[in-house]
Amino acid sequence: MGIKIEDLTVTFRNHVTAVNHADLEIPMGMFGLLGENGAGKTTLMRVLTTVLSPTSGTLTLDGIPYSEKNYEKIRKKIGYLPQEIDLYPSLSVQECLEYMGDLSGIPRQIYRERINYYLEKTNLSEQRRKKMKQLSGGMKRRVGLIQALLNEPKFLIVDEPTTGLDPEERIRIRNLLVDFSEGRTVLFSTHVVEDLAATCNQLAVMKKGKFLYSGNMKELLEQARGHIWICKTKEEGTARELEKKYHVSSKQYAGDGLRMKLISETPPQAECSPCEATLEDAYIYIANKETDL
Amino acid sequence: MREMKISLTFQKQAYAVFFAIILSLVRGVSYSNEIGIALETPMAILAFTFCADTYTQEIVSKRSEIWRLCPMKRRIYFIYRRIVIQEIFLLIIAAASYGLFFLLQNPITYGITQNGLESEICRFFVYFAAVAVTLGFWGILSNLIACLFRNMWVGIGGCMVLWLITNSVIGNRIFGAWNLFSYSFRNIEDSRDFSWLYGKVVCICLGIAAMAALPEIIRKRG
Repeated sequence: MGIKIEDLTVTFRNHVTAVNHADLEIPMGMFGLLGENGAGKTTLMRVLTTVLSPTSGTLTLDGIPYSEKNYEKIRKKIGYLPQEIDLYPSLSVQECLEYMGDLSGIPRQIYRERINYYLEKTNLSEQRRKKMKQLSGGMKRRVGLIQALLNEPKFLIVDEPTTGLDPEERIRIRNLLVDFSEGRTVLFSTHVVEDLAATCNQLAVMKKGKFLYSGNMKELLEQARGHIWICKTKEEGTARELEKKYHVSSKQYAGDGLRMKLISETPPQAECSPCEATLEDAYIYIANKETDL
Repeated sequence: MREMKISLTFQKQAYAVFFAIILSLVRGVSYSNEIGIALETPMAILAFTFCADTYTQEIVSKRSEIWRLCPMKRRIYFIYRRIVIQEIFLLIIAAASYGLFFLLQNPITYGITQNGLESEICRFFVYFAAVAVTLGFWGILSNLIACLFRNMWVGIGGCMVLWLITNSVIGNRIFGAWNLFSYSFRNIEDSRDFSWLYGKVVCICLGIAAMAALPEIIRKRG
């Protein structure tokens, strides 16, 4: 049960390799996919949703290998919310979802029941008569999420669903994803570390088409332990020096000078003390480990 | 109703109506039997611009990635349904345009006798049949090209090139009665000449071929 990716490579016609010999196993439940912009997350999702065909490598979903003849079978098991989607602006929420249900080939009575259920769940029941173009960004995402769930997919793939949303709406979307992960696999792609910290136990970190880490959130934090340092300095010059030498995951002016969080394999050459790693620190550590730490 | 809201947006309806009104004002006709000629080729332009976004609107709005997850038969059925709705609307516009020419230009008719009236009605129905084929062909073709290149402008541009070739003296010389616009190039003085039907048969055959090719293009190009 789950998604298995082996030695996957996706190279475009312009010779850009978006996914480079990647291996990954995605089990049931919430699974986070973290990576900077351009890391290859969206390409990977497009391969998983059969929008793109891989250049090489093998993929299986629920044991079904990805091949042209299996695409229809695979597609039935997937619900997808792309990064940017503009659902029929001239239709009302209800009409839009009914249209998508109809398009998916779900019997009318069933999709109507599901629409009512999910509108209730996502707090959109009162907006059902509103036109799509009248909804806020967060509401549109929630409608997008409902359309992805209409065929009761075993695999829900969501690509950066919280981008551009206000904090309250982001939390709402995150919580909904956790609710919907019951009994299914939810692949949640984002570059917002907080979103994953709040929702996932399992995650993969992607950079330049490769997986730098895949596994448990705790283990990722464990890997970064001992490499995160807090430094305090009153001098601007020293601060600038530290910024040049090390990765700074945060800095803030405190009463007694500048407080900086540095990421370094060895203790920095300054007055520092080790501190607990957050997921954000761990991500920066992993993402830069091989290159320059 | 949902499909109408998607494929017949207010803007599209508005430009089609304006197109018909402006055409009936600026394109001069003296006799009623010239109306069909005056309308057929411009209506083809309206059809291929109108239908080019039938499916490409899904690509532009990134909805095509969701469409891909839906069963192929449903996707094709929905695209055909959109084409039919648009074609019916265009047919209504084409019929109304014929009436507008009468209303705004008051062309000379062939008498007001019983037979004269009959010939006018008959002429209208012949025009209606010819323009129905024309609208169908150009609408289907522009959607097909747009789907193939995943761009409505390529669909419009491709059709425009074909339109310029076939709606020209050279095109008429090359294709003759088999020209896509054979109805417009027919001899209007000879009402018994139905050789222009060959051109319409070509339109029907190419239209059917385009409709048959659509599922494969959607499957391959999404």
